[in-house]
Amino acid sequence: MISNKAKKEINSWVEKYPEGRQSSAVMEALKIVQSENGNSLTTELIQEVADYLDMPGIAAQEVATFYENYNHSPMAKNVIRVCHNISCMLNGSDELITHLESKTGVKTGEVTQDGNICVKKVECLGACVGAPMLQIDDKYYEHLTLEKVDAIIDGLKEGK
Amino acid sequence: MFEIEIDGKLVNAEAGEKLIEVTDRVGISVPRFCYHEKLSVAANCRMCLVDVEGAPKPQPACSTPVSEGMKVSTQNEKAKSAQKSVMEFLLINHPLDCPICDQGGECELQDVAMSYGSNVSRFNEGKRVIADSNIGALIHTDMTRCIHCTRCVRFGTEIAGIMEMGGTGRGESLKIEPFLNEGIQSELSGNMIDVCPVGALTSKPFRYELRSWQMNSTESIARHDLVGSNINVQTYKGKVKRIVARSNDSVNETWISDRDRFSYEGLSHSNRLLKPQVKFDGTWKEVSWEVALDFCVKGLLRSAGESNSMNSLGVLASKTATLEEYYLLQKLVSELGCENIDYRLGVKDTKNTINLESNVKLSDLEKIDHALIVGSYTRLEQPMINHRLRKAALRGGTVDVINSMQFDFNLALNNENIIIPCEIANLLASTLKVVLESTNQDVPEELNKLTITKSATKIAKKLLSSDASVIVLGEHVINNDNAKNISNLVAMLAKNTNSSTLNLSKTGNSIAADIAGFFPGKDGLDVNSMLGKDMNAYIMFDVYPEYDFHNSSTAIKALSDKNSFIVSMNSFYNNNVADYSDVMLPISSYYETSGTHVNIEGEFQTFAASVKAPQESKPAWKVIKVLADLLDISGFNYSDSSNVLEEAKHNIKQGHRAEESINITDTNSVEVIWQPSPYSIDALLRHSDSLQETKIGQINKATMNSSTAKHLNLGDKDDYLGVPVVISSLVANNCVFINANKSTPSEEQA
Ligand code: SF4
Ligand code: FES
Ligand code: FES
Repeated sequence: MISNKAKKEINSWVEKYPEGRQSSAVMEALKIVQSENGNSLTTELIQEVADYLDMPGIAAQEVATFYENYNHSPMAKNVIRVCHNISCMLNGSDELITHLESKTGVKTGEVTQDGNICVKKVECLGACVGAPMLQIDDKYYEHLTLEKVDAIIDGLKEGK
Repeated sequence: MFEIEIDGKLVNAEAGEKLIEVTDRVGISVPRFCYHEKLSVAANCRMCLVDVEGAPKPQPACSTPVSEGMKVSTQNEKAKSAQKSVMEFLLINHPLDCPICDQGGECELQDVAMSYGSNVSRFNEGKRVIADSNIGALIHTDMTRCIHCTRCVRFGTEIAGIMEMGGTGRGESLKIEPFLNEGIQSELSGNMIDVCPVGALTSKPFRYELRSWQMNSTESIARHDLVGSNINVQTYKGKVKRIVARSNDSVNETWISDRDRFSYEGLSHSNRLLKPQVKFDGTWKEVSWEVALDFCVKGLLRSAGESNSMNSLGVLASKTATLEEYYLLQKLVSELGCENIDYRLGVKDTKNTINLESNVKLSDLEKIDHALIVGSYTRLEQPMINHRLRKAALRGGTVDVINSMQFDFNLALNNENIIIPCEIANLLASTLKVVLESTNQDVPEELNKLTITKSATKIAKKLLSSDASVIVLGEHVINNDNAKNISNLVAMLAKNTNSSTLNLSKTGNSIAADIAGFFPGKDGLDVNSMLGKDMNAYIMFDVYPEYDFHNSSTAIKALSDKNSFIVSMNSFYNNNVADYSDVMLPISSYYETSGTHVNIEGEFQTFAASVKAPQESKPAWKVIKVLADLLDISGFNYSDSSNVLEEAKHNIKQGHRAEESINITDTNSVEVIWQPSPYSIDALLRHSDSLQETKIGQINKATMNSSTAKHLNLGDKDDYLGVPVVISSLVANNCVFINANKSTPSEEQA
């Protein structure tokens, strides 16, 4: 269920678009609803967003599955977004990802048992100069090496 | 208009045209997957790349507009290598499982790969595999074969008007799928099979049946609606195996409804009536045609009695006969001196019903700027007409409705009036008053007392301000207490607002029945009078009483109780028919006989038989002809049905014109609208299992709002007139809208 608070927030986005174009607010609406639902979406929620914006469910689902920012299963406290696009790939992102997988003990996209960490492969984050790189919340970590990654993970594990 | 050069040839082109439209027109073949002439341009498959002089890279022909002096090569090295590369990419993830794919032999991918592909694959990596989704009883999916052309997605948004398929995920994990696994709901969904260029979407009932080249194809006409969509009937060893659309821009474009596409399944239903049968001492015996027909003749003559008068013979037919069948049967009994003929079995009072002409061409329907729909859910009732109206709406036309229930239209409604059936006439009358007053004309006395409502003013204003408007009158009002008034009011409104009219209440092949004169003669009885009388004999043509009669229980009672001699010609076996008949003659169903369908434009569409009628059943027109011969009636020397058509065309009958008076009656009890659900309107549809399995096929409900339910003392677990109750605020107060897939009311109330 979308809360009234969330609806209000969605409305403020809807207002930004011309009348009858309320579906343009779908990305923000999904984001708002996702954050209200512990950082993940469900089929029902997507349908609700679609209904709320008077658009077909599948059209909202298209958006929700296109972008990495929407999660479709319960999400970890910390999401590590590792870029695997071309610059980062050339600079060893594959190796980083394998390392992260073995370090956390779960595959990319999966959440560790304690619900703490999830590593996600994402597309270019516009920080190619610092490749390979990753993002946690709003912070970018660049020019990564395996050691740097270890330190980051250990920090997260200690809850920093 | 200017010239452009394609492959060294000068050809004419129109500004705004896309290159591919020009090449298609002049017959230069450009390969394509995502382009479809009736859908928007997506330009996502890149198969249509051609070389345009001056452009650095090859250009997609489907999205490149022509310009004067353009020089194009579809064949040079640059074009060819681009096409070949695209083909290679497209095949990377394709399973290449043609031997087990139903599309094999009629697959655009296969064809194009033969001409543009390479014969060896350089791709050694793993191929992507996509799980199939179950999208219902009509379409089978093999999504690993999908090439992401998005034709099916665009079909949904642009033509069907409901986006059901979509592209989820991205890049390599892009999948074409529906959102919820609820199955596809559209009444036009089968067209996705036709538009899908590969074997990703194929016909479920036809799955693994045959290869396309094994079948014969005959041109035919689909007869479930007022359009008469053009189809190809594909047959194998005397059986209809599949039906696909045949393009005809003035009728159905390239689309057909699911009803027309899948109803053929019913032809091989075990319930077909296959042998002539005669009732001896209350038990049915299979007999030869000679015996059965002899029995008919004797029985009919005996029923005429001493006076040898056929005044007491009644002749009833369903709405699905061909023009030739109506004509011959009518001619036969007229020659016998009988005038009791009728096909309007579902009409409560034939003197108070709709009698409105249609005067708009289907292809013009999409050009109208305003439509007023009265008493119809066009989307499910007349899908192809609704499609044209939807096109008009997409072009900026407006649509108003006057209905007794809110329906799920797939076009934007401007003004939706949901009112109880008895108010419809009043609303139209008050609209007419507004129209007459604002055009400074005399208002007839009957309208003087009427108060003008806001809704009436709105409806009138819209009709008056539109240049090309149409008023559509639907089936929901055929049994309205004010049906005739409504019909007259619509005619007057149309006349005074310069609108055209479309009468959707004459469903099936009713228009042909009228033309053939299949209605009571001057002193003849109509259906209800016949049932109310002691008729000595009946000839019943493909009648299924519990579905066809307005009040089925009274009709069945009337037919069984009285000691009439009843000859029934049917294509399907039916218990009630067996109960009241004395002879049952098995006749052809759709696609098993030649004949003519007359569509809403008045267009005669003649078709040949695609297959022979099964076992001992016979084309009905031949049965009638032989019956005439045996009754010693001359003038039935037809060698084939085209002679009958010829004669019928020379004898076109005029139906009764209703007088143009208005005299509105009021009721204040609960009003019932009984509308057969879309997939149960005729015997063939009712026997088509796959259609019955769909969401639309399952519609069977008596919808009413909570206060009506309270008034009737009903809850949502109850039945009303034998139909499950659904409580919903979508229906006007004091009204029950019944959409039933089983039978008509056992006991009509109200
Ligand atoms: S299923 Fe068929 S029509 Fe739909 S996108 Fe795939 S290939 Fe195209
Ligand atoms: S490729 Fe990784 S940040 Fe651009
Ligand atoms: S047909 Fe032109 S890009 Fe697909």
